[in-house]
Amino acid sequence: MNDNTKGRIQLIFLRVVVYSILVFLSLLCIFFFYLMVVNATRSNAELAKGFTLIPSGNFFTNLKNAWNDSSINIPRGMLNSLIIALATAVLTTYFSALTAYGVHVYDFKGKKLVFTFIMAIMMIPAQVSALGFVQLMNKLHLNNSFIPLIIPGIAAPVVFFYMKQYMESVLPLDVINAARVDGSSEFRTFNTIVLPMIKPAIAVQMIFSFVSSWNNYFVPALLLDKAELKTVPIMIAQLRSADYSKFDMGKVYMFILLAILPVLITYIILSKSIIKGVTSGSVKG
Amino acid sequence: MKDQLKPGKLKSVSYAKWGYIFIIPFFVVYIGFTLIPQFLTLYNSLFENYRVGLNQIGPNYVGLENYKALFTAQSDGTILILKYTANTMIMWLMGAVPQFVIALLLAVFFTSARLNIKGQGFFKTVIYMPNLIMAAAFSMLIFTLFSKVGPIQLFLEQQGIIDHSFDFFAYRISVRSMVAFMNFLMWFGNTTIVLMAGIMGIDQSIFESATIDGANAWKVFFRITLPLLMPIFVYCLITAMIGGIQMFDVPQVLTKGNGLPNETTRTLVMYLNGYLGGKNYGMAGAISVIIFIMTGVLGGVVYKMLSAQYKEKTSAPKYHRKLQRGKEA
Amino acid sequence: MKKLLVILLAALMLVSVVACGTGTNEPAEPGDKATQAPAAEQGKVFNIYAWNEEFKGFFEKYYKVPEGVTVNWIINPSDNGVYQQKLDEALLNQANAPTDEKIDMFLAEADYIGKYVDSDYTMDISTIGYKNAPTMYEYTIKAASDTKGVCKGVSFQCCPAAVIYRKSIAKDVLGTDVPEEVQAAIDSWEKFDAVAAQAKEKGYYMTASFAETFRAFSNNCTKPWVDENNNIQFDDQITAWIDQTDNFIKNGYTLTAGVWDQEKTNQMFADGKTMCFFGPAWYYNFSMTNAMDPEAGCAGDWCIVKGPQAYFWGGTWLLAAAGSDNAEMLKDIFETFTVNTEVLEKMVKDDNQYVNNTDVVKKFAEDPEYGNTAILDGQNDIAVFYELAKDIKWENHTNYDQILNEGLQNKLQEYYNGSVDKDTAMKNFYAYVKEQYANLVVPEN
Repeated sequence: MNDNTKGRIQLIFLRVVVYSILVFLSLLCIFFFYLMVVNATRSNAELAKGFTLIPSGNFFTNLKNAWNDSSINIPRGMLNSLIIALATAVLTTYFSALTAYGVHVYDFKGKKLVFTFIMAIMMIPAQVSALGFVQLMNKLHLNNSFIPLIIPGIAAPVVFFYMKQYMESVLPLDVINAARVDGSSEFRTFNTIVLPMIKPAIAVQMIFSFVSSWNNYFVPALLLDKAELKTVPIMIAQLRSADYSKFDMGKVYMFILLAILPVLITYIILSKSIIKGVTSGSVKG
Repeated sequence: MKDQLKPGKLKSVSYAKWGYIFIIPFFVVYIGFTLIPQFLTLYNSLFENYRVGLNQIGPNYVGLENYKALFTAQSDGTILILKYTANTMIMWLMGAVPQFVIALLLAVFFTSARLNIKGQGFFKTVIYMPNLIMAAAFSMLIFTLFSKVGPIQLFLEQQGIIDHSFDFFAYRISVRSMVAFMNFLMWFGNTTIVLMAGIMGIDQSIFESATIDGANAWKVFFRITLPLLMPIFVYCLITAMIGGIQMFDVPQVLTKGNGLPNETTRTLVMYLNGYLGGKNYGMAGAISVIIFIMTGVLGGVVYKMLSAQYKEKTSAPKYHRKLQRGKEA
Repeated sequence: MKKLLVILLAALMLVSVVACGTGTNEPAEPGDKATQAPAAEQGKVFNIYAWNEEFKGFFEKYYKVPEGVTVNWIINPSDNGVYQQKLDEALLNQANAPTDEKIDMFLAEADYIGKYVDSDYTMDISTIGYKNAPTMYEYTIKAASDTKGVCKGVSFQCCPAAVIYRKSIAKDVLGTDVPEEVQAAIDSWEKFDAVAAQAKEKGYYMTASFAETFRAFSNNCTKPWVDENNNIQFDDQITAWIDQTDNFIKNGYTLTAGVWDQEKTNQMFADGKTMCFFGPAWYYNFSMTNAMDPEAGCAGDWCIVKGPQAYFWGGTWLLAAAGSDNAEMLKDIFETFTVNTEVLEKMVKDDNQYVNNTDVVKKFAEDPEYGNTAILDGQNDIAVFYELAKDIKWENHTNYDQILNEGLQNKLQEYYNGSVDKDTAMKNFYAYVKEQYANLVVPEN
């Protein structure tokens, strides 16, 4: 009895501590989003004068200014970013799954070597090849094109690794053999049977590659300079530094908000299945 | 195709060519868009090759001169690339230690049946959110918060704690802390969720029997959870370390590329970026190769870990199935 | 299998070496198709490289684009040298670019114009039929001319710079806000420093940035930043600026903010405590928007005077790119912004520009009716600038000026805000220079 009460008090105490930590961290995470929204509602003069957590009334003015900016065509930028990010997400997940499937299901000479190789290159930072990459793309006249931003997504070692791990846990070989007995070709088996089975993994990797492509600045900034091709992060960099004469911070924050919003909304809608996907499919201990 | 399908001969071996076909796109793209650029970078590092205005100097083959220059000490004895490597690692550690401690704690909280946390979906969604924000935009926000006309400085001035000559960006510890804090906030949610997956993969019956044997929560954590979580924990740690070596956007935007104060927040990739901007392809190539070697060493460690794990999995399907069952329970 | 790997790697090496062989940057040959006769068929696309929107605004307002021609603006920010990197890349590629993607015109600033003017990537504007007008300021022509005196472009503005002072603060500090009397009080650096001490006593700052007076010194240098042997050298003017700034910071006469930092621009609001800002017409008309803010600003509380030392700052030149297929349009644009008096008068009246046409500015300078009310108290600023502009000379410029000027300010800012000692700041400056220009020789330290 005594022990039991002690245990209960301990548990209540523990819960208070745990919930406090969780609430604190959540507030910390939300704070910056909130700050951004508040800043987007304030005029340049208000922003310059100080700081507040109370929204002001300039939201629609800022929105109008941002949307109608003559040189920073935000709808166009969002469309460009959307095309690149969507294409990258689709290609990355599809081909990573295909590669992972190839390594997972088939026994072929050099299979171990292939796996080892991909594991090894997984760790190489993109910046290491940036210099040669830009040189090469310029030589091939592929700068000012979306191709060098989309196609490399086909070879994504990290996504491959994730897919491989996922398949190991959910994809029994019997299913594939059964499909073969039914006369399904290998490609058809992959497309119509395997892909649906790994849907959660695909969803997770789609959103992750979408987000990282949407936020990518380093390489696109090196390659794109035509106004009609610029992506959102390039536009934001340009907006921040371009013009001291028309430096309107309210507009800058509105741009940032617009840039994050699509990703944020998609994430919140999909968050349940994403977190489920990460938890069920991620690397197994 | 159909002709080959004879009962009893359904070994995957007969489909070997499909394995090759399925991995072709990956390798073609990898070679074209990554491997060749990497070799180009390596090749560049052996040349004197830069621009003065619009005049190209070189490329002249200089062997390892660029590497020699990189490792030549300044008059006061500092070797810049080592200094920047140290900056990078220190800032990474300052963010990664809390990141892993908190993530581990949260993962244990979330998976604890005893605590039975409510609203898990909400918390998990929220702690992941900072990962979505553009690093550059996040740095900008932090910059405005701590700038000389920012709210924090103003508040502290009003309280009389500091006077106006104080500048957050004049102190190594404060700027490095800002960088570390941002990296922490952007990544702790991600780590939490991956570690959680790891804990959930551990066979629940082990916990049950431990509790029946009278082990307390601490004992369970240190004797069971942590050892069994080790492979995935190390995986997280090393991928985070690789991410740390690439640190660029946050300190770049926060210090406007200046590595304030006194170059103590300049990272390796910022150093590389400086030479790229100056069109000094020789030096930029050499720095890239150094970064490559560093990650290569780390990558080797990861590979060792993961390949051991890989073997274990393929050779021990029973263990694997057990994990599956454990998860469903 | 190992053999296979070795063969694969060897093949890759080979491929990449071959790729490198063709991949090295051979200097392009822009001379080839460069100067086309003006009579040749005109291109349908006109590409302009710029780093901000300033000129674009004037262009769209005052220049009528010929029918059938599309104008493309390629705008890259100048921060961290991005603008020049992109421009250089495009210029080096100009000879191989398809006709419609060739640069026709690009903008350049005083700090680096020499780099482009002294190259084959710009074209002699006399070949497109443009004649330098006698009404243009001599220094703007000199800046746009190569070492042989061949002119490659024009400037649409002339940038004599002044001291812009806050009348109410001057009244409090000096007991007067009349331009002549204020000028008399600060017509030398000694007097300027003395007034700074007075301002401090009254609780004001003399300037709002440690680098505020930099241009007033640096544009009066008597020797270039870099000598013929690529050695960096400090002119007495630069040293004088450092000495003055040491003193200003030590005594709290100024702030540790950079020229473009928010801490400084906040000082332009009505509740600011700063007496003087330094800049040309483009500066206060475009970069002092805080002062013109309808709620928090203080438009009308400002006047300009020559200050301790005449100088100029900045300016935007329009350069003709070699290889352009729009010669007629180039000539047209140049004429619109240098000799079309109707347009230029509008630019003075409506946009408060100090244009590059002595006839036009003289007219305004002598017009008793004219005054700037956008930010000044109705003072005839053109008259002040007209006098100042007579003394502007273009000398001692190098192609490295931008990196050196900005690098010095950035690294010294760390000394002034107390993060490093002066020696370290200078050491960091030299390291930065070396990173940007490997050919420069920095002092041993």
